[in-house]
Amino acid sequence: MTGTLFLQTLVDGLILGGIFSLSAVGFSLIFGVLGVVNLSHGIFVLLGAYLGLALKEAWGIDPLMAIPLVFGALFVLGGLVQITLVSGAVRRGSLMSSLLITFGVSLMLRDLIILVFGPDVQSLSSSWLFDTFRIGGVIVDGARASGLIASLLSLGLLSYVLYRSKVGRAMRATAQQDFAAGLCGIDVKKIYAMTFGVSAGFAGVSGIIVGLINPFTPFDDTHWTLNAFVTVVLGGVGSPVGALLGGLMLGGISTFSSQYVGSLYPNVFIFGALLLMLIVRPNGLLGNAYKGSV
Amino acid sequence: MRGFHKPISSRQWGLSALLLVGAVALPFVASPFELRLAQQILLFGGLAVAWNLLGGFTTYWSFGHAAFFGLGAFAAGLLGQQLGPEVPVALRLVLGLLFAMAVTLAAAVAVALPVLRLRGIYFAIAMLAFAQILGEVSKTFDVFQGAIGFTLPILKVPGLAKVQLFYFLFLVFLMVCIGLFVVMRRSRLGVGLTCIGQDEDTAAMLGVPTERYKLTAFVISAVLTAVGGVLYSYSLGFMTADTVFRIDISLNLILYSMVGGIGTVAGPIIGAAIMILLTQVVLGDLLDLHMLVTGAVLVAMVTLAPKGLIGLVRDMRRRREETTVEEGAAS
Repeated sequence: MTGTLFLQTLVDGLILGGIFSLSAVGFSLIFGVLGVVNLSHGIFVLLGAYLGLALKEAWGIDPLMAIPLVFGALFVLGGLVQITLVSGAVRRGSLMSSLLITFGVSLMLRDLIILVFGPDVQSLSSSWLFDTFRIGGVIVDGARASGLIASLLSLGLLSYVLYRSKVGRAMRATAQQDFAAGLCGIDVKKIYAMTFGVSAGFAGVSGIIVGLINPFTPFDDTHWTLNAFVTVVLGGVGSPVGALLGGLMLGGISTFSSQYVGSLYPNVFIFGALLLMLIVRPNGLLGNAYKGSV
Repeated sequence: MRGFHKPISSRQWGLSALLLVGAVALPFVASPFELRLAQQILLFGGLAVAWNLLGGFTTYWSFGHAAFFGLGAFAAGLLGQQLGPEVPVALRLVLGLLFAMAVTLAAAVAVALPVLRLRGIYFAIAMLAFAQILGEVSKTFDVFQGAIGFTLPILKVPGLAKVQLFYFLFLVFLMVCIGLFVVMRRSRLGVGLTCIGQDEDTAAMLGVPTERYKLTAFVISAVLTAVGGVLYSYSLGFMTADTVFRIDISLNLILYSMVGGIGTVAGPIIGAAIMILLTQVVLGDLLDLHMLVTGAVLVAMVTLAPKGLIGLVRDMRRRREETTVEEGAAS
């Protein structure tokens, strides 16, 4: 029985980790390419969930089918936020001011969400999501299974774009050295805006998956921003593989500590791991020291 | 860094004395609502000045000062529970303050040793995480009863209403914070910290004891914040993890400093006054819009006036002086 419990905990941890990875990958991208800690990341995740809710209630679109629409909407929003607000802070070269600007953006967006949808708990769940599968004693329900599949597909797609396409190459070049990238004919401003857009888009997609699995409120954004930060610090900045690794570790820490220590402890363990990593190895396990790392 | 060692002019002394007289007289003329606003401005203005002891001189911007605010309050609350009912309230408050200061001193040193090795964003986020952990721990372990909280006894002084009493306590707190800030800015410590803020590696190379200076500023700032937490909790009459370990307290301290002007004495207090009046009076009936306005002010300040209102005024004055000089040269 303890073997099955261990296996179940492991599977739950991996599934949760997949979602953490997806929700953090955009944060990691911005951190790597622009060197900005985007404190509005969590609110982008929530915006995805709320957009999915609006589409479901207005036209009955299934949340999973709404993923491309949500991605598109948040891509545009993220790009706009970068062009209008964040670019000024980046140009002045002050990382602190970008921290404050993105925090201000998150406050405004959170207030708008409350004004439109109200402060109550919402959820995206549909009935088919509760069908469960049993694989060798381990139980997985539809929501978690589809969440994991969607996470892995999105991460794979992002890896493909980053490592095989022209835009991806330009992004990686800008991450390494924006000045030299500009000399090589890359439109750095455009790449910055694209990066923010892609990041916000992925955050929105992860928001839909989060909404399928858990109920959400407008006040969860700090939670998702911090999770993304922890994931990036655990895994390493600026790559989908780092985000995947960090997310899986975070998911593992979270489920194992709540299963074997107590359901109230995961956050204590998560932040403990964060502090430890910051002190021991602030560039993450994969140690990608882009400009975000001091 | 103009005027570091310039003596305080008699005009500045006069203005300060006038402000102090006005502040002491206020509780006898203002309505309870106005007094409560003034209380908040004094307390959070003082906390913002305390935050500036480290964040104002250097780029070590703590995003988790609520950790010390809460730590102090919980230390005083736990001690109060241990004391018998025969101990008078005033003594309880004093003992609570001393205990909170001692606990925070130890905790701040323990946290600072690893965390102050981090720089910039990493320091900011590590402090944010530290505050989150403390909040969670206080709720998770029953000993600290963070979820239920403590009820604190009511402090009574004959002849003064509760609002007036805490107004004066907060006023004293603000004066202490201002005093420490002014003394520190004029001391070797303050100059050293300013050097650290400009270029830490160069400062270390030139013989500034960077580690010791950072630690000192961090600990003083933390202990003052803990005192603020104790006073705040006594003014409320109760406390739980949710009243003291609030992420918005951490961030408001930065916002107030940002609005007024980081690294100045008056800036954080002006910032606190503007933001508290804006949210509590101008938008008093529009609770829904508080966050929106706060966010908009933050974004606008960072984009348009990164040195705060004081910086803006100074820049304008300097520009005017320059134009007068040019005109004088031309004629």
